[in-house]
Order: sequence, then C-alpha cells, then structure tokens
Amino acid sequence: MNRPFQKIYFDPYIFFSLFFLSILGLFFLFSASNADINIVSKQFVYVIAGFIIMILVSQPDPDIFRRISGLFLVFSLLLLGITYLFGPEINGAQRWIRIGPISFQSSELLKLAVPIFLANFLFNKKLPIERKEIIISLATIFCCFYIVFRQPDLGTALIIACSGLFVLFLSGLSWSFMGGSLVLLVVSSPFIWNILLQPFQRQRIATFFNPESDPFGASWNIIQSKVAIGSGGLMGKGFGEGSQTQLNFLPETETDFIFSVIGEEFGFFGVLLLLSVYLFLLLRCFYLALSARDRFCRLVIGGLSLTFAANLIINLCMVVGLLPVVGMPLPFISKGGSSLMSLFLTFGIIISMGTHKKFLPQ
Amino acid sequence: MIFEERQIEKNNFSSRAILLFGLIILSLLVVLIKVFSLQVSGYSDYQLAALKNKNYAVPVQALRGEIFDRNGKALVKNEPTFDLITRPNFISNIDSFLEEIEPVIFLSQAEKNRYKKLQKEKAFVNKELVLKKDLSDEEIARFYVRSFNFQNAFIAKRYRRISDYPKIFSHVLGYTSRTDDAYKSMPEIPRSHWKDAELSYAHGLIRGRTGLEEVYDHYLSGKHGQRVFEMNAMGQFVKSLSFFEPVKGSDLYTHLDIEAQQSAAKYLGNRRGAVVAIDLESGGINVLYSSPAYSINQLSNGMSEIDFQDLINDPDKPFFNRALQGRYPPASTIKPAIGMYGLSNDIVSWDFVMDDPGFFTLPETGRIFRGWRKGGHGKVDMHKAFLVSSNTYFLSLAYQADILKLSNHFSSIGFGQKVCLDCFDEDKAFVPTPEWKYSMMNVGWVKGDTVNLGIGQGYLVTTPMQLANYASLLATKGEFAEPSLAIMDNQKKSFKTWQDDGFDDSDWTKMHAALLDVIESDYGTARSIRDLKEFQVAGKSGTAELVSLDSKEAYQEVRTSELLRDHSIIIAFGPMPNPRYAVSVVIENGESGGAVAGPVAIEVLKSLINE
Repeated sequence: MNRPFQKIYFDPYIFFSLFFLSILGLFFLFSASNADINIVSKQFVYVIAGFIIMILVSQPDPDIFRRISGLFLVFSLLLLGITYLFGPEINGAQRWIRIGPISFQSSELLKLAVPIFLANFLFNKKLPIERKEIIISLATIFCCFYIVFRQPDLGTALIIACSGLFVLFLSGLSWSFMGGSLVLLVVSSPFIWNILLQPFQRQRIATFFNPESDPFGASWNIIQSKVAIGSGGLMGKGFGEGSQTQLNFLPETETDFIFSVIGEEFGFFGVLLLLSVYLFLLLRCFYLALSARDRFCRLVIGGLSLTFAANLIINLCMVVGLLPVVGMPLPFISKGGSSLMSLFLTFGIIISMGTHKKFLPQ
Repeated sequence: MIFEERQIEKNNFSSRAILLFGLIILSLLVVLIKVFSLQVSGYSDYQLAALKNKNYAVPVQALRGEIFDRNGKALVKNEPTFDLITRPNFISNIDSFLEEIEPVIFLSQAEKNRYKKLQKEKAFVNKELVLKKDLSDEEIARFYVRSFNFQNAFIAKRYRRISDYPKIFSHVLGYTSRTDDAYKSMPEIPRSHWKDAELSYAHGLIRGRTGLEEVYDHYLSGKHGQRVFEMNAMGQFVKSLSFFEPVKGSDLYTHLDIEAQQSAAKYLGNRRGAVVAIDLESGGINVLYSSPAYSINQLSNGMSEIDFQDLINDPDKPFFNRALQGRYPPASTIKPAIGMYGLSNDIVSWDFVMDDPGFFTLPETGRIFRGWRKGGHGKVDMHKAFLVSSNTYFLSLAYQADILKLSNHFSSIGFGQKVCLDCFDEDKAFVPTPEWKYSMMNVGWVKGDTVNLGIGQGYLVTTPMQLANYASLLATKGEFAEPSLAIMDNQKKSFKTWQDDGFDDSDWTKMHAALLDVIESDYGTARSIRDLKEFQVAGKSGTAELVSLDSKEAYQEVRTSELLRDHSIIIAFGPMPNPRYAVSVVIENGESGGAVAGPVAIEVLKSLINE
C-alpha cells in the first residue's frame, strides 16, 4: 500500500462533515449569542483545539485504547469524585471541575470510558453472552449512571447508560433477557418516578405532557421554542433576524435551544441541510463499524456513534417538543468546550478504529 | 475464536447495528416531520404567536376637535402647556435626581411623593412619566440652560381643554374627564396596553361627559394613532417599528353667540335662572345659559376634591342646568296658547267681550280664582285680555275647554317633550292628563284643574327651552325650525308646522299685534321695558306662583322667605314686525315677570340684533 496518507490515519468524510458542522456551529452561535464575539472566538479556539485532538487521537493503533480502557474508566470516575468533593455548585448541580483557567464537565469523559471499557470486556466473549458477564456489565453501567445522575445531571446520565447498553446490545445480548428487563422497567417505573427523580425533573416531565397548563412557568421554554421554530417557516427569517432569539423570548439559545435558533432564522431548508450533514456523518460511522478490522473496533465505533446519535436525537426531540426538557446540547453546534472536546475525542477514536486495518490470517 | 464463530459474531453485529441505525434514521425522520408540521403546517399560527410576543402597540392620543360660536370664535380650544417629562427606567437614583432638579424646577412635597410612587411602578417599562405639569416660562428657560445635566428628562408639549369663557358656557359646552373605556375605540390594541398610551392631553385619555362635549363626543373625538414598539422578553421597548398618526377630531361649529350669552350672564347676574334664545330662521340656539354656573376649565383639567365638593354642596346647585331641566309653571306666558285654543275651537272670538270683576268663580264649587289686579279690568276683549293679562278672561275660557283636547294642544306646541335636537340631558317637563292625575293621586280630574291651566298654574310645568321653542312658534306664526346647537354641513333644517283650521292668518296677525302691545302700548303689563331698546318687541310676561294664595296681603307675608317668592318669566321675540329671534327668560324667585325677567330678555335680543 503506497497511498499518500499511509502514515497519517485520516477519514475525509468524517473530517469534512465535522468541519462543515463546526463552521455552521460558529455561524449559528454568532446569531444565538446576540453577536457576542467573545463567545464565538472562544468557541473557535475550542474547535481548532478539537480538530488537533481528533487528528492526534486517530493516529495510534486501536489496541492502545483496549489496553488503557480500564485505566480510563478509573480515571474518569476519579475526576467525578474530585468534582463531587471540590466542584463548585452551579444552579444546584455539581458538574464542573476547574483546573486553573480551564473548567470542564467531568461526566463527558464517561460517555467514552464506559463503552470502550465494555467493548474491551465483551469483545472476546462467546455468543451468547453469559449471565455473569451481563451482570458485571449492567453493574458497571448502573454505577456510572447513578454517579452522574446524583450530580444531578439526568441528561448525561441517560446518555452514559445508553452508551453502555448500546455496546451490550451490539455484543449479542439475548433477546429474552431484554424482554425481561423491559417488563421489569415498566413494573418499577412508579418507584423511579417517586424515589429517584428530583422534584424539578418530575415537573419537567409533567409539563411536557401538558405544556399549556403553565404557559409562563415551566413550559415557557417548550412553547417559545416551538414558536421560534414554527415562525421560521420554509425559508427562515434570516441571519440575526429571528425575533424570538434576538429579543430573548427563547431561553438557552447558545446551548440547549440553539436548534430553535436555526429553525427560526434559516427555516425548514436550514434544518434539512443540518440534518443531512448529521445523517451523512452517521452513515459514514455505520459503514466504518461494519468494515472495522475486529470485534473490539466494531463495538467501540458502533457504541460511540450510536451514543452520539442518541445525544443528537434527544436534543432535537426536546426542542421540537417530542421529549421533556433535559439538559442536552446539540453536538458540534451548542456552545461549550467540554462537550466539544469529548465529541472530537469520540470521533478521533472512531477514525482510529475505522482506518487501522490488520491483515488477518484466513 | 475460530473463523465460523467470528463470522457468526460479525453477522450478529451487522444485523443489530442495522436495527439500531435504522431506528436512528427513523427518529431523525420523525424529527424532520415534526419540524415540517411546525414550520409549514403550523406556520401562520406560530408566526402570529411570535409577532404577539414582540410587537407592542400603544395608542397615540388624538386631539379633540374645537368648538366655535356662530362668528367663528373659539368657545373651547386645545391649549398647549409644557410639561417636564422623564424616562423613569433610566434613572437609577431617584432621590439624587430629584435633588439635582429641584433648584431648576420647583417641586412641592406632594409632587415629589407622587413621582416617587409612580416611578417605582413604571421604572420597569421604558415609559414616560410626567414630573411637573404646566411649567412657567422661567422654569423652561432655566431647564434648557441646564438640560445637559438631565439626559433622562425633557420638556414636551401637552394640551389642555380650555375655554376663554369657562363659566358662562359651562352648561351648554359641558366638560371632559378622564375615561377608562377609551380602549373600546381601538379593539386592535389590547386593553392592557392603554396604560402606555402616548398622551396628547396633560389630563390623559379624556372623553366628553356633559353638554356638547358629550353629545358630539364621537364627532369631536378624532381617531387615535398607533405606535408599534418592538419589545423584548424582559418587557423593555427596543425600538419603534411603525407609527400611524392620530387624526384630530372634527371642529364643531355652533349657533351659539358669545356676546349674547355674555349679556344673558351679565343681566342675570348672580340670580338663579335661565335664558334661551333661538334664531328663528335656522332654529339655531344662540343663547343657552343657566345661572349659577361653574368653571369647565377646572373640571376638565383636574379639580381639587374640596372645590368639587363645594360645587356639589352649593345650595344654588350650579351643576343643575336650569335651561334644560328646570321645571317651571309657565304662568301668564301660557295665555297666547290658551287664546289659540279658544279661537281654533270656536269658544271665543277676537270680538267677544266679557266683564272682568277681578276674579273668576267656579260655578260647580263656588271656588274663587283671583286676578292680579283688585277690582279687575272692566270690559275685556281678547286683545285687551293679552295686554292687561286678564286672569278672569282666560280662566273662563279654560273653563269651557275639554281637558283632553287642551293637553293635546299643549303637546302640539312642544310642551311635555324634548324640543331641542342636540341638547344634553334635556328634560321633558310635564303636561298633565286626567289619567295621570288619577294614577298618581287616586282622585279624578276636576274642572278647577282645567281652569288653573288657563293661567299657567297648576300641574303644567315647562322648561326655559320649551318656552323659547314656544316663543319661536308664536314668532314664526307656526312655521318654526326645531332648535339645535350645532351647525352641520350635511344637516337639513328641520321645520315644523303648527296649524289649525280654526286659526288662520288674520288670527296670527291679531295675535302678533296683541303681544306687541303687551310691551309697546301704554297699557301693556310689560311696558316697563319699552324704552330699553330702539326696536319693537312682542312678548308675554308671567309671574309663577309657588304658593297658592287668596290675597295680596297673604303674599306679602310669604315674600319674606326668598325661596317662596314668585318666579319671574318672559317670552319675547323681535324685532317686530319681522322677528328674527325668540327668547325666554326665567328668574327663580324674581317676582314680577315683566319688570325683572323683561330687561334680561331685551338685553339678549339687543346683542343678537345689533350685530
């Protein structure tokens, strides 16, 4: 093989999709932040750093990730512990860890550590997976989920749980076990509702099912988001012209509700373009997962890209009113360094696993 | 793992990955459909909701039309004053702001307290707040020199509703006052936005409450303009999006005459009473005056509670519009109407002569009705009966009248009904019928009741407005125009005709001659006013008794109580022989009609005719 990129592991489809998304993201953020150049330039720095991290991470052989997966999980949990002990409380939640001028959300790393750890744990097990292995996997998932959930950060906790469950499912979890779990979940849902959920989380879910009950209170966000998107129409109101966004009727425009800004200012065609890029990215990941060199890589690519997709879809469903409001950024578009770094890290690992080929004996 | 196992594992992975990615694509499709339903199917609803969020329309107050007299002189106008206005939400420290501005503009403690209270309420919205109304020239000058110190305060023009004749026209013009239902005139602006209206009047959103201001409110009001602000989620105004200018209300031209009204007020003085004068050609009301009056300038632009209570509690009742609502017995001024009834029903003729011994005895009961002159007037025909105001003649004429026909006759000359086309709150007064008496007093109508009507006493009561209308009917020989105040371009004059087969043109001529002689002849009861003028006037005076007494001596006793004294009444028209104006004057407790009310009527006619 004498290809020009022989020494550099690189996937042009993913690279250009992410490049395009990042450019769009900066563009939308400029409008969503009421043309705050500080926010945009900070985000720009994160994007550059993210690309560098992605390229660096995609170079080493996937075996390294397999070997350090246990260590990575322990490290991530350690950071969460530090957050719990020293992290500042913001809006009633301890999510952030601060080192010098940089602060980041430590739970982001778990989104990567959990699926890689489980992939490593399961990749050489016989099919179907035995009960002991399932229990160990589920215990790991639940521990990580619960730690983040207690911060409290339901959105990230759910994503972490998903990331683990995706790997478990892809590695061959039996259908009968899943059926049984589903029944158990339904049976235990009153317990989850009453004991596990915080009052504000319960309220969010309640307003989701009846948004008109309290138009100026908890469901304000959903209503204003729908008004913003709906009033965008086919063509949108134009860049910086969205009244819902610019006059602050829409909440959290830079983070969770940035999709509503896009819907308002760029209309249905803008949304269509954005979703097409995401779809293209996901299809490429799907292809890489199917063509990966071994079971570990398949499981990691599958787990990470599905986690990314779940993140994306939860955000979209939330802002258009199909799901209750949970804190969940729109990947590559929303403001936020931690989320962006972990996303680039994710795709760095995906590229590494998708582009390193091993010649296998027949 | 051996190869087969690996192949099974790979196939298993592929099918499960296809399932999950399929679900993901399906979810994206669901999101896309949802977005489509919001943006395409629901577009118009959501667009409206977004506009409703941000657009904040406020009304811009229109100026009211002004009111003019028949010579084009302003009766009520909009007078600009200069007010100090602030933008409260830009003032962070209210106390230091007031401290800074105090050396420039004098502020009373009450003004400061009021401002502080309102500032708290309004500071949230980017809205104006008046700090001081009606600045003096000196204050304006001082402020402009130092205006750079006060970036959140400015001087702007606000109007007041001002009349140069605030008292004499108070009843007819009426006053304006603040209104709570201005929002009804512009349903496109939500009611809650009216508190942020851009005002043109210092007194706020106003409407007419009484008089012409009320009757022609829709005509004077104009159309409010509209300014649409863009508002953000915090309720702050971001910018002005559009502006529709208000349209000033139409000016109202009236038949009123300032000079005639002034002489009515001058000659009535501080006595209680009313004057109404009508232009015979148009029916236009030139004078409509009720005394005592009050100041509409004060009422329209904010009056202190104490002053207002004083007006309410004044025993002379200045708010009471005597010209339109005062109910007075017509007394001897009814005699021409009784004469008309007698002639048209062939009860009497001009040649009929009877003896007037000074009293009339009711045959049924022997009750005696006295005349005003002891010993009577001797032989009296109808001409003389008018001249000397013979009670005996008209009592005996009324004795022969049918009460139902007589009531109808009164109604046909405008009594017991509203006669003015555009007066505020005109009273109908009252024409009695047997039916009414039975239902009210549970006793039947007796002949004595009818006889009493012959001299304008008893149950019949009339307003000065009706008396003037009656004078106008007499002056125009039954071809009179309905009285009205306003001159409208598209308005057709509304003429009425009084006619009767038994009362022809020669009767009218004789009637005019008799009423002329009441004033102009040596024997007329109102001859005392003959020399006050250079033209000839016809008329009939009356003295309305408030208490029924049998003798002059008895009256001298009640006379000591002013409120029991007789009312003085006159109706008159001139200049003869071609009259142009008719006038009625009532002076409460003024006693002798000709001598007291007469001069007022003459002075009003003079100022109308000499123009």
